[in-house]
Amino acid sequence: MTHPSSVLDDTIHQRVRLGILAVLSESRRADFGYLKEILEVTAGNLSQHLAVLEEAGHIQITKGIEEKRTRTWITATRKGRAALALEVATMRALLGGIPSTQRP
Amino acid sequence: MNADEVRESLAFSEYARKRARDDLGRPWVALVLLASLSVVSLSLTDAATSPTALFWVFAGPLGAGAIALYSYRRNRSSGIDSSPLAYVAITVGLLILSYAAGKIGFAFQIPGVARFGPAFIAAAGYFVLAWIERSWMVGAISFALLAVTVAIIGFDLSSQQSKALLFGLYGITLLAVGFSWRVGRKEIL
Repeated sequence: MTHPSSVLDDTIHQRVRLGILAVLSESRRADFGYLKEILEVTAGNLSQHLAVLEEAGHIQITKGIEEKRTRTWITATRKGRAALALEVATMRALLGGIPSTQRP
Repeated sequence: MNADEVRESLAFSEYARKRARDDLGRPWVALVLLASLSVVSLSLTDAATSPTALFWVFAGPLGAGAIALYSYRRNRSSGIDSSPLAYVAITVGLLILSYAAGKIGFAFQIPGVARFGPAFIAAAGYFVLAWIERSWMVGAISFALLAVTVAIIGFDLSSQQSKALLFGLYGITLLAVGFSWRVGRKEIL
Protein backbone atom coordinates (compact mmCIF):
# COMPACT_ATOMS: atom_id res chain seq x y z
CA MET A 1 0.00 0.00 0.00
CA THR A 2 1.47 3.38 -0.99
CA HIS A 3 1.27 6.49 1.14
CA PRO A 4 -0.86 9.29 -0.46
CA SER A 5 2.12 11.67 -0.37
CA SER A 6 3.92 9.44 -2.89
CA VAL A 7 1.33 10.53 -5.48
CA LEU A 8 2.48 14.17 -5.15
CA ASP A 9 4.28 15.37 -8.25
CA ASP A 10 7.65 16.85 -7.31
CA THR A 11 7.73 18.89 -10.53
CA ILE A 12 4.72 20.97 -9.59
CA HIS A 13 4.61 20.59 -5.83
CA GLN A 14 7.13 23.40 -5.40
CA ARG A 15 5.30 26.53 -4.18
CA VAL A 16 6.05 28.87 -7.11
CA ARG A 17 5.43 26.21 -9.76
CA LEU A 18 2.11 25.39 -8.11
CA GLY A 19 1.25 29.11 -8.19
CA ILE A 20 2.18 29.37 -11.88
CA LEU A 21 -0.14 26.50 -12.79
CA ALA A 22 -2.91 27.85 -10.53
CA VAL A 23 -2.85 31.21 -12.35
CA LEU A 24 -2.70 29.55 -15.78
CA SER A 25 -5.55 27.18 -14.94
CA GLU A 26 -7.82 30.21 -14.48
CA SER A 27 -6.88 31.86 -17.75
CA ARG A 28 -6.08 31.13 -21.36
CA ARG A 29 -2.57 32.55 -20.95
CA ALA A 30 -0.56 34.96 -18.81
CA ASP A 31 2.55 36.94 -19.58
CA PHE A 32 5.91 36.76 -17.85
CA GLY A 33 5.57 40.16 -16.17
CA TYR A 34 2.16 39.30 -14.73
CA LEU A 35 3.41 36.02 -13.23
CA LYS A 36 6.49 37.73 -11.83
CA GLU A 37 4.35 40.35 -10.09
CA ILE A 38 1.62 38.05 -8.79
CA LEU A 39 4.02 35.39 -7.49
CA GLU A 40 6.49 37.96 -6.13
CA VAL A 41 9.61 36.32 -7.57
CA THR A 42 12.63 37.61 -9.45
CA ALA A 43 12.85 37.28 -13.22
CA GLY A 44 15.69 34.76 -12.96
CA ASN A 45 13.85 32.65 -10.41
CA LEU A 46 10.67 32.64 -12.48
CA SER A 47 12.61 31.70 -15.63
CA GLN A 48 14.07 28.67 -13.86
CA HIS A 49 10.67 27.47 -12.66
CA LEU A 50 9.14 28.00 -16.10
CA ALA A 51 11.94 25.98 -17.69
CA VAL A 52 11.23 23.06 -15.32
CA LEU A 53 7.51 23.14 -16.09
CA GLU A 54 8.11 23.46 -19.83
CA GLU A 55 10.49 20.53 -19.85
CA ALA A 56 7.88 18.41 -18.05
CA GLY A 57 5.30 19.38 -20.66
CA HIS A 58 3.06 21.24 -18.20
CA ILE A 59 3.27 24.62 -19.94
CA GLN A 60 4.00 26.15 -23.34
CA ILE A 61 6.01 29.34 -23.74
CA THR A 62 5.48 31.63 -26.71
CA LYS A 63 7.62 34.68 -27.41
CA GLY A 64 6.54 37.47 -29.70
CA ILE A 65 7.04 41.13 -30.46
CA GLU A 66 4.28 43.49 -29.34
CA GLU A 67 4.63 47.25 -29.70
CA LYS A 68 8.35 46.94 -30.45
CA ARG A 69 9.15 44.92 -27.33
CA THR A 70 9.44 41.24 -26.61
CA ARG A 71 6.53 39.70 -24.79
CA THR A 72 6.47 36.18 -23.37
CA TRP A 73 3.11 34.45 -23.00
CA ILE A 74 2.75 31.25 -20.99
CA THR A 75 -0.07 28.73 -21.43
CA ALA A 76 -0.90 25.63 -19.38
CA THR A 77 -1.07 22.45 -21.42
CA ARG A 78 -3.82 19.87 -20.91
CA LYS A 79 -1.26 17.74 -19.09
CA GLY A 80 -0.40 20.68 -16.82
CA ARG A 81 -4.03 21.39 -15.95
CA ALA A 82 -4.65 17.70 -15.17
CA ALA A 83 -1.49 17.52 -13.06
CA LEU A 84 -2.55 20.57 -11.06
CA ALA A 85 -6.03 19.15 -10.43
CA LEU A 86 -4.52 15.87 -9.24
CA GLU A 87 -1.97 17.64 -7.05
CA VAL A 88 -4.59 19.82 -5.35
CA ALA A 89 -6.92 16.83 -4.83
CA THR A 90 -4.05 14.82 -3.35
CA MET A 91 -3.05 17.62 -0.99
CA ARG A 92 -6.66 18.00 0.16
CA ALA A 93 -6.89 14.26 0.70
CA LEU A 94 -3.68 14.35 2.73
CA LEU A 95 -5.00 17.18 4.90
CA GLY A 96 -8.31 15.38 5.26
CA GLY A 97 -6.49 12.45 6.85
CA ILE A 98 -4.80 14.65 9.43
CA PRO A 99 -6.58 14.84 12.81
CA SER A 100 -8.26 18.21 13.34
CA THR A 101 -6.17 18.88 16.47
CA GLN A 102 -3.15 19.38 14.20
CA ARG A 103 -4.91 22.06 12.15
CA PRO A 104 -4.58 25.73 13.07
CA MET B 1 6.98 17.14 3.90
CA ASN B 2 4.67 17.93 6.79
CA ALA B 3 1.08 19.09 7.12
CA ASP B 4 2.04 22.75 7.42
CA GLU B 5 3.93 22.64 4.14
CA VAL B 6 0.98 21.03 2.37
CA ARG B 7 -1.41 23.56 3.91
CA GLU B 8 0.86 26.45 2.92
CA SER B 9 1.18 25.16 -0.67
CA LEU B 10 -2.60 24.81 -0.96
CA ALA B 11 -3.17 28.29 0.46
CA PHE B 12 -0.66 29.81 -1.95
CA SER B 13 -2.23 28.05 -4.92
CA GLU B 14 -5.68 29.33 -3.85
CA TYR B 15 -4.29 32.86 -3.44
CA ALA B 16 -2.77 32.78 -6.95
CA ARG B 17 -5.98 31.39 -8.41
CA LYS B 18 -8.09 34.06 -6.70
CA ARG B 19 -5.80 36.88 -7.84
CA ALA B 20 -6.07 35.65 -11.43
CA ARG B 21 -9.87 35.43 -11.14
CA ASP B 22 -10.06 38.95 -9.70
CA ASP B 23 -7.86 40.34 -12.46
CA LEU B 24 -10.02 38.66 -15.09
CA GLY B 25 -13.26 39.66 -13.40
CA ARG B 26 -13.80 43.35 -14.05
CA PRO B 27 -16.76 43.20 -16.40
CA TRP B 28 -18.17 46.68 -15.70
CA VAL B 29 -17.77 47.96 -19.28
CA ALA B 30 -19.61 44.97 -20.70
CA LEU B 31 -22.36 45.29 -18.10
CA VAL B 32 -22.86 49.01 -18.57
CA LEU B 33 -22.97 48.53 -22.32
CA LEU B 34 -25.46 45.66 -22.23
CA ALA B 35 -27.65 47.42 -19.65
CA SER B 36 -27.65 50.66 -21.70
CA LEU B 37 -28.52 48.80 -24.90
CA SER B 38 -31.33 46.98 -23.11
CA VAL B 39 -32.76 50.23 -21.71
CA VAL B 40 -32.77 51.77 -25.20
CA SER B 41 -34.38 48.60 -26.54
CA LEU B 42 -37.13 48.70 -23.90
CA SER B 43 -37.88 52.35 -24.62
CA LEU B 44 -38.45 51.41 -28.27
CA THR B 45 -41.21 48.92 -27.46
CA ASP B 46 -43.87 51.66 -27.24
CA ALA B 47 -43.35 52.71 -30.85
CA ALA B 48 -46.29 51.90 -33.16
CA THR B 49 -44.12 49.79 -35.46
CA SER B 50 -41.76 48.43 -32.88
CA PRO B 51 -38.22 48.42 -34.24
CA THR B 52 -36.83 46.52 -31.24
CA ALA B 53 -35.83 43.44 -33.22
CA LEU B 54 -34.14 45.57 -35.88
CA PHE B 55 -32.39 47.52 -33.14
CA TRP B 56 -30.90 44.31 -31.74
CA VAL B 57 -29.76 43.12 -35.16
CA PHE B 58 -27.41 46.12 -35.22
CA ALA B 59 -26.91 46.71 -31.50
CA GLY B 60 -26.13 43.04 -30.76
CA PRO B 61 -23.06 42.73 -33.00
CA LEU B 62 -21.95 46.30 -32.26
CA GLY B 63 -22.25 45.72 -28.53
CA ALA B 64 -20.44 42.39 -28.73
CA GLY B 65 -17.73 43.98 -30.89
CA ALA B 66 -17.24 46.77 -28.36
CA ILE B 67 -17.04 44.23 -25.51
CA ALA B 68 -14.52 42.12 -27.46
CA LEU B 69 -12.40 45.20 -28.23
CA TYR B 70 -12.48 46.22 -24.57
CA SER B 71 -11.52 42.68 -23.55
CA TYR B 72 -8.66 42.55 -26.07
CA ARG B 73 -7.22 45.88 -24.88
CA ARG B 74 -7.64 44.94 -21.22
CA ASN B 75 -5.91 41.59 -21.72
CA ARG B 76 -2.99 43.20 -23.48
CA SER B 77 -2.48 45.74 -20.74
CA SER B 78 -3.09 43.44 -17.75
CA GLY B 79 -0.98 40.50 -18.92
CA ILE B 80 -3.65 37.86 -18.30
CA ASP B 81 -5.93 36.62 -20.98
CA SER B 82 -9.30 34.89 -20.93
CA SER B 83 -10.63 32.84 -23.80
CA PRO B 84 -12.00 34.87 -26.75
CA LEU B 85 -14.36 31.99 -27.51
CA ALA B 86 -16.67 33.14 -24.75
CA TYR B 87 -16.97 36.57 -26.34
CA VAL B 88 -17.75 34.92 -29.65
CA ALA B 89 -20.47 32.99 -27.80
CA ILE B 90 -21.95 36.28 -26.57
CA THR B 91 -22.07 37.63 -30.13
CA VAL B 92 -23.66 34.47 -31.52
CA GLY B 93 -26.05 34.22 -28.57
CA LEU B 94 -27.19 37.82 -28.94
CA LEU B 95 -27.73 37.40 -32.66
CA ILE B 96 -29.66 34.15 -32.39
CA LEU B 97 -31.82 35.39 -29.52
CA SER B 98 -32.52 38.77 -31.08
CA TYR B 99 -33.47 37.02 -34.30
CA ALA B 100 -35.70 34.62 -32.39
CA ALA B 101 -37.36 37.45 -30.44
CA GLY B 102 -37.99 39.35 -33.64
CA LYS B 103 -39.22 36.32 -35.53
CA ILE B 104 -41.53 34.96 -32.84
CA GLY B 105 -42.66 38.26 -31.39
CA PHE B 106 -43.29 40.30 -34.49
CA ALA B 107 -43.96 37.84 -37.32
CA PHE B 108 -46.32 35.76 -35.17
CA GLN B 109 -47.59 38.80 -33.25
CA ILE B 110 -46.95 37.57 -29.73
CA PRO B 111 -46.68 40.84 -27.78
CA GLY B 112 -45.20 39.21 -24.63
CA VAL B 113 -42.23 37.79 -26.52
CA ALA B 114 -41.82 40.94 -28.58
CA ARG B 115 -41.80 43.07 -25.46
CA PHE B 116 -39.61 40.88 -23.27
CA GLY B 117 -37.37 39.31 -25.90
CA PRO B 118 -34.69 41.95 -25.33
CA ALA B 119 -34.72 41.30 -21.58
CA PHE B 120 -34.07 37.61 -22.24
CA ILE B 121 -31.33 38.54 -24.69
CA ALA B 122 -29.66 40.76 -22.12
CA ALA B 123 -30.06 38.06 -19.44
CA ALA B 124 -28.41 35.49 -21.73
CA GLY B 125 -25.58 37.95 -22.43
CA TYR B 126 -25.11 38.52 -18.69
CA PHE B 127 -25.13 34.79 -18.05
CA VAL B 128 -22.33 34.14 -20.56
CA LEU B 129 -20.40 37.08 -19.13
CA ALA B 130 -20.85 35.72 -15.62
CA TRP B 131 -19.35 32.45 -16.77
CA ILE B 132 -16.31 33.97 -18.50
CA GLU B 133 -15.63 36.61 -15.90
CA ARG B 134 -16.37 34.19 -13.03
CA SER B 135 -18.45 36.89 -11.42
CA TRP B 136 -21.20 36.00 -8.94
CA MET B 137 -22.51 39.55 -9.23
CA VAL B 138 -23.10 39.24 -12.96
CA GLY B 139 -24.63 35.80 -12.49
CA ALA B 140 -27.03 37.20 -9.88
CA ILE B 141 -28.04 40.01 -12.24
CA SER B 142 -28.66 37.50 -15.02
CA PHE B 143 -30.95 35.40 -12.83
CA ALA B 144 -32.71 38.48 -11.39
CA LEU B 145 -33.42 39.71 -14.90
CA LEU B 146 -34.85 36.33 -15.89
CA ALA B 147 -36.90 36.10 -12.69
CA VAL B 148 -38.36 39.60 -13.15
CA THR B 149 -39.26 38.84 -16.76
CA VAL B 150 -40.93 35.56 -15.82
CA ALA B 151 -42.80 37.32 -12.98
CA ILE B 152 -44.03 40.03 -15.35
CA ILE B 153 -45.40 37.46 -17.76
CA GLY B 154 -46.73 35.25 -14.93
CA PHE B 155 -48.59 38.09 -13.16
CA ASP B 156 -49.59 39.67 -16.46
CA LEU B 157 -48.38 43.11 -15.40
CA SER B 158 -49.20 46.14 -17.52
CA SER B 159 -46.65 47.59 -19.91
CA GLN B 160 -45.90 50.50 -17.58
CA GLN B 161 -45.57 48.32 -14.47
CA SER B 162 -43.28 45.85 -16.21
CA LYS B 163 -41.15 48.62 -17.65
CA ALA B 164 -40.83 50.20 -14.22
CA LEU B 165 -39.66 46.86 -12.82
CA LEU B 166 -37.12 46.27 -15.59
CA PHE B 167 -35.81 49.83 -15.48
CA GLY B 168 -35.49 49.45 -11.71
CA LEU B 169 -33.46 46.29 -12.18
CA TYR B 170 -31.20 47.97 -14.74
CA GLY B 171 -30.78 50.86 -12.30
CA ILE B 172 -29.68 48.43 -9.58
CA THR B 173 -27.35 46.75 -12.11
CA LEU B 174 -25.65 50.02 -12.95
CA LEU B 175 -25.36 50.92 -9.26
CA ALA B 176 -23.85 47.52 -8.44
CA VAL B 177 -21.40 47.86 -11.32
CA GLY B 178 -20.46 51.38 -10.25
CA PHE B 179 -19.95 50.20 -6.68
CA SER B 180 -17.77 47.25 -7.70
CA TRP B 181 -15.76 49.47 -10.03
CA ARG B 182 -15.18 51.96 -7.22
CA VAL B 183 -14.07 49.15 -4.90
CA GLY B 184 -11.80 47.81 -7.67
CA ARG B 185 -10.24 51.25 -8.22
CA LYS B 186 -9.62 51.65 -4.49
CA GLU B 187 -7.89 48.25 -4.43
CA ILE B 188 -5.70 49.28 -7.36
CA LEU B 189 -4.89 52.68 -5.86
